[in-house]
Amino acid sequence: MTVPTNTVDGQRTLSFSEIGPAERGKRPDEVVIAISPAFGSLFSQTIVDIPHAEVIRQMLAGIEEQEVTARIIRVQHSADLALMSHTAAKLSGSGIGIGILARGTSMIHQRDLPRLSSLELFPQCPLLTLETYRSIGSNAAQYAKGESPEPVPTLNDQMARPRWQAKAALLHLKETELVRKGAKTVEVTPVLSDAAV
Amino acid sequence: MTAEAIQNTDATKNGVRHSLRTQLLEDRPVNLDGFVEEWPEVGMVAMDSAFDPEPSVRVENGVIVEMDGVARADFDFIDQFIADKAVDAATTEESMAIPAVEIARMLIDPRVTRKDVIAVTNGLTPAKLLAVAKTLNIVEIMMGIQKMRARRTPANQAHCTSARDNPLQVACEAAEAALRGFSEVETTLGVVRYAPLVALAQQIGSQVNVGGPLTQCALEEATELDLGMRGITGYAETISVYGTEPVFVDGDDTPWSKAFLAGAYASRGIKMRFTSGTGSEVQMGNAQGKSMLYLEIRCILIAKGAGVQGLQNGSISCIGVPGAVPGGLRAVAAENLIASAVDLECASGNDQSFSHSPMRRTARLMPQMMPGTDFVCSGYSAVPNYDNMFAGSNLDSDDFDDFNTIQRDFQIDGGLRHVKESDILAARTRAAKALQAVFRYLDLPPITDAEIDAAVYANGSKDLLPRDVLEDLKGAQQVMDRNVTGLDLVKALEATGFTDMAENVLAVLRQRVSGDLLQTSAIMTPSLVPLSAVNDANDYAGPGTGYRPSGARWEEMKKLRHVTSASNPEIEVE
Repeated sequence: MTVPTNTVDGQRTLSFSEIGPAERGKRPDEVVIAISPAFGSLFSQTIVDIPHAEVIRQMLAGIEEQEVTARIIRVQHSADLALMSHTAAKLSGSGIGIGILARGTSMIHQRDLPRLSSLELFPQCPLLTLETYRSIGSNAAQYAKGESPEPVPTLNDQMARPRWQAKAALLHLKETELVRKGAKTVEVTPVLSDAAV
Repeated sequence: MTAEAIQNTDATKNGVRHSLRTQLLEDRPVNLDGFVEEWPEVGMVAMDSAFDPEPSVRVENGVIVEMDGVARADFDFIDQFIADKAVDAATTEESMAIPAVEIARMLIDPRVTRKDVIAVTNGLTPAKLLAVAKTLNIVEIMMGIQKMRARRTPANQAHCTSARDNPLQVACEAAEAALRGFSEVETTLGVVRYAPLVALAQQIGSQVNVGGPLTQCALEEATELDLGMRGITGYAETISVYGTEPVFVDGDDTPWSKAFLAGAYASRGIKMRFTSGTGSEVQMGNAQGKSMLYLEIRCILIAKGAGVQGLQNGSISCIGVPGAVPGGLRAVAAENLIASAVDLECASGNDQSFSHSPMRRTARLMPQMMPGTDFVCSGYSAVPNYDNMFAGSNLDSDDFDDFNTIQRDFQIDGGLRHVKESDILAARTRAAKALQAVFRYLDLPPITDAEIDAAVYANGSKDLLPRDVLEDLKGAQQVMDRNVTGLDLVKALEATGFTDMAENVLAVLRQRVSGDLLQTSAIMTPSLVPLSAVNDANDYAGPGTGYRPSGARWEEMKKLRHVTSASNPEIEVE
């Protein structure tokens, strides 16, 4: 499925093609990103209309700038961010994973931590920018290399609640409807292309 | 540049030309708020849903064997708890036989006493209470609150927090909040390890004036209980309950575990209430297709069944959810009414950032402020919202004068008063000096005179001198390791010359022994006597009765920052 998105650069489309079942990586220098059921499928942008295509591009760029490789998996049996991120970490050769929900909420996780813990949590999705997503990728890659980066700085806005709380609930409910019990986690590759304007 | 180009930059979006009025309306703060369409199938609906159960009850051998269309064998643990602990099996069949509209009329009819209403509500199931609420419009809900509120005298609660977790700031804010009339002050932390120092500072600051409010520190449950048992805090309210089983289980809890925690507080004579609110279940994606108000009524009955004296409700931290759907604020007021109608103390919300629109913020406050509730806000940010570590309140320190003016305009008591600046500065100074002395006495990190000067005259944490956070955190750990208690604070205040404050803190601690703060809706009067639904029962019985601001209190409410003198219009009243 191809979802067209509008960006400042022009129109770029994002789709994910399935490679096969998600397996544990052997490379110690990789980060695994877990996307949620509705990411780049039912939905094409975050809660504040940032195209998923740009989010993924920046996250991958952040990982690559640290000379670390990335794989992407799609979790289909849950839209629980902690579970998704922990799944990514457990499948990652470095033990470091990132989880991201369609609305943009993200988390960096590590294999050996309890599931409900995390290395870094980015709960306020309306405040996450493309720069934040790049930094999340970069920090995850640094953890993968055994470094201790400064946590990604995040904003706090008390007025995010009145503006976004109900929309976040709706997006979560829609995403949860796509959850298929027992469906296997699959490895995917992003197909990003600059479409003709 | 052509005229067309100008339109393109200003009045055209997506190729459509808009009027100048549309642009102006687009820019109004209310359009920054989020609004969503109803979706009853998943519970995104305030109180009118075809998927809520129909009321029913059946009793066999003194046990409820069917409730709201569910047979006992099919009860989830919330149904079971409510059926066994909250609904009176002896009277339920009789109460349930009364039509919902008749019960609703009893709620607002001044000739029916509060006690008579409670005799009926004791036997009502969640679906029946919902059916009653659905017959009431917002004015009727407010009339109901006026009569059903447990304590005769309304009160208010403050948030005293600091974005830097600065204990000195919190001590000063607690002193000012007490002087302004708040009956409870509550703090919480950015860095949780700071809690012992900040809770201690709040306790000291709150007792500067004649008689002080009760204090609490919202924390993870075990630490909150620990601070309460030590006597560093005086009440607890962040004990959350939920209306569906999956959401309860996600928090590793059951109604019984919450009741056990309530028992732990009661065993030490510490006041406590539960917390719940519309929207939490749908927010967590587990509303089981029920309306927000129906699920909240289940929470209210869990609180009643657990035997706690009160509940903080009114959506609380999920206010963005009911606030976004049609009729949401009617449902929020209805949850306050139902808590009061089943004889619980109600700390009625108005405590979280709710809207970008000043008009909507005020409107949201009126259903609680006009009839009066046990705590109109739970709480009101006594600091600027940027310092509010509960993520912002519907009202903050910028709104003090507006709030006082609204009290005076309508002659309604929201628990606050205008205080002249010299009195406030004196109280903040005394709180700061007392904290400085206590820190020195207990060998905690020093507070300098320069810090005190900045804190006394500050508006918020941006105006303070920074503290050595690492040293403070060590000090906070010391408070825990050395087992510092409320009695140590009494000793420290007495030994450092703050005898009157030592007496105030001791008077509050003494209440644990008498247990008077376990009564419904208890606060402390300025002369440090408990005032509760026992010795100040709401006696509203229509026009001319019940609580009305009068006498000294009304005179106090007439004072504002600027009032022109009638005897000499060239000056203002002091």
